[in-house]
Amino acid sequence: MTGAQSPVLEVRNLTADYNGNRALTIDHLALHEQELLGVVGANGAGKSTLVGAILNWSRGAPRVSGEVILDGEDLSRMDTPSRVKKGLLLIPESQLIFHSMSVAENLAHHASAADAAGRHVYSLDDIYDLFPNLANRRGHLGGQLSGGERQMLGIARALRLAPRVLLLDEPSIGLAPKLVLTVLRTIRQLADNGLTVLLIEQNVKAAVEVVDRMALLERGRVLAEGAAAEMRDDPRIAEAYLGGHAT
Amino acid sequence: MNLAQQIINGIVLGHAFALIAIGWTVLLGVARLVNFGHGQMYMLGAFITWFAMSAWGLPYLVAIPLAMSVGVGVGYLMQRTMLNLTIRQDLVSVMIVTLGFGYVIEGAAALTFGSTGQILDTPLSLMDIYIGDIWFTWQDIAIVVVTILVFIALKYVIENSPVGRRVRMVAEDPKLAQLAGINIKRVYLGVFAFEGATVALAAAMVAPRTPILTSMGFEEVIITFVVVVLGGIGSVTGSYLAGLGLGLFTAFFGAYVSSAYATAAMFVVLIAVLVLRPGGMTQKMGGH
Ligand SMILES: Nc1ncnc2c1ncn2[C@@H]1O[C@H](COP(=O)(O)OP(=O)(O)O)[C@@H](O)[C@H]1O
Ligand SMILES: [Mg+2]
Repeated sequence: MTGAQSPVLEVRNLTADYNGNRALTIDHLALHEQELLGVVGANGAGKSTLVGAILNWSRGAPRVSGEVILDGEDLSRMDTPSRVKKGLLLIPESQLIFHSMSVAENLAHHASAADAAGRHVYSLDDIYDLFPNLANRRGHLGGQLSGGERQMLGIARALRLAPRVLLLDEPSIGLAPKLVLTVLRTIRQLADNGLTVLLIEQNVKAAVEVVDRMALLERGRVLAEGAAAEMRDDPRIAEAYLGGHAT
Repeated sequence: MNLAQQIINGIVLGHAFALIAIGWTVLLGVARLVNFGHGQMYMLGAFITWFAMSAWGLPYLVAIPLAMSVGVGVGYLMQRTMLNLTIRQDLVSVMIVTLGFGYVIEGAAALTFGSTGQILDTPLSLMDIYIGDIWFTWQDIAIVVVTILVFIALKYVIENSPVGRRVRMVAEDPKLAQLAGINIKRVYLGVFAFEGATVALAAAMVAPRTPILTSMGFEEVIITFVVVVLGGIGSVTGSYLAGLGLGLFTAFFGAYVSSAYATAAMFVVLIAVLVLRPGGMTQKMGGH
């Protein structure tokens, strides 16, 4: 790890309210170069609100304030598409691909060289190498894909848009156990290939095997944060998520 | 009444209806929006064309793009004003704002152009064609040709170009489109500008068929509504076929029943379609 370097993505004093009810209070959170950070927590802990707030995006209408800094640049005043152009790519939960478009069309939308600003735009060949299933299905409509294939396509769509940081909201939800591993390993591989990744995962047991660091969220706050190995032994995690032994 | 003449009338009228409606097809399919100022924008397009030709002596081929430019401006301004309502998908407010805009346009037009009827003559509308006892004008041929070209171009752009893809992405899921880096405000503004341009084009092409008045426009909105709903919300090919069908229906109804009740008959068709259509008005562009 490269702890001494300045972080790729940094979040300060980030809050979100739904109709005046505080759902998120993050004093500080940082992601470093090529780091895979797992964010875990119970349903309603604020995980989706967190990644949405980082992009100033939501399917609801929260009031968000705070600072989001990417490679030293303050993005706090930018709208969502501008943050995406800077390289913040979120793969949201549930509706994450265009159902009425074919796989090939979902992948046709890509960042221009100017927008990419030197970041890597995955080519279609790269994508089909990484996800051979999608290559076989390129003519199918997004709506005809299985859950696993949708996740792959969601990730692939983001890779076409020159990500600096990839944020994934529960990519393994509803997938068969074998597929969960495949998806998580692919995400690990993307981090190893140079991406910085924030992964929301309710399957803590599986997540802890692939992430570098892990943050536990509860009622919108970071309750504990640390290296994966330490967090595995943290009683709060062991107890709640790993069928643990703490008393 | 001559059957062949009614078929010709129906075909010309049908293409005219399709052209008048095309902006709304995209509007409703993409932005899930309505524009009840559409009829007055049609009226404005007709008067700009008329004024440019009769007062300024500009040729028809210059007056058309001029009217379209004004249409773009009006469409852009209208959407700019209500962008927040659009993004919130506050349909009722959008209906009222566009209705209000329509009446402002009508008032401004009456002040500027007066409230007497005018005739918009073009070089083509004065050239008759007789085949046996069938009569039509070169303007009619131009309407058919321009409509077909506009529909082919639109279909091509929507299905095959990057711009069309963006528009379809916003149509299906504006929130997800934002996560793909698409500036949806720009797409909404573009769609309204397109609507303004095409309704002005339709006016410049179709209005020479009848006298023009600053109070006209209501019938055009109803025609548009029927075409868009009948064709399947947001479907370009559907709108073309629906326009054609409605044109033939209107021509035959007018010839064999009564032209005085043609608008009422259109309403009956509209109500029947709205009630019987399984998806109602909820279908989106690209969602076939
Ligand atoms: N659209 C919304 N309107 C009101 N409250 C919401 C909305 N979305 C989420 N919340 C609330 O915010 C909190 C965090 O939700 P969320 O971020 O979705 O949690 P998680 O993703 O960890 O399950 C929850 O208490 C939830 O009820
Ligand atoms: Mg969630």
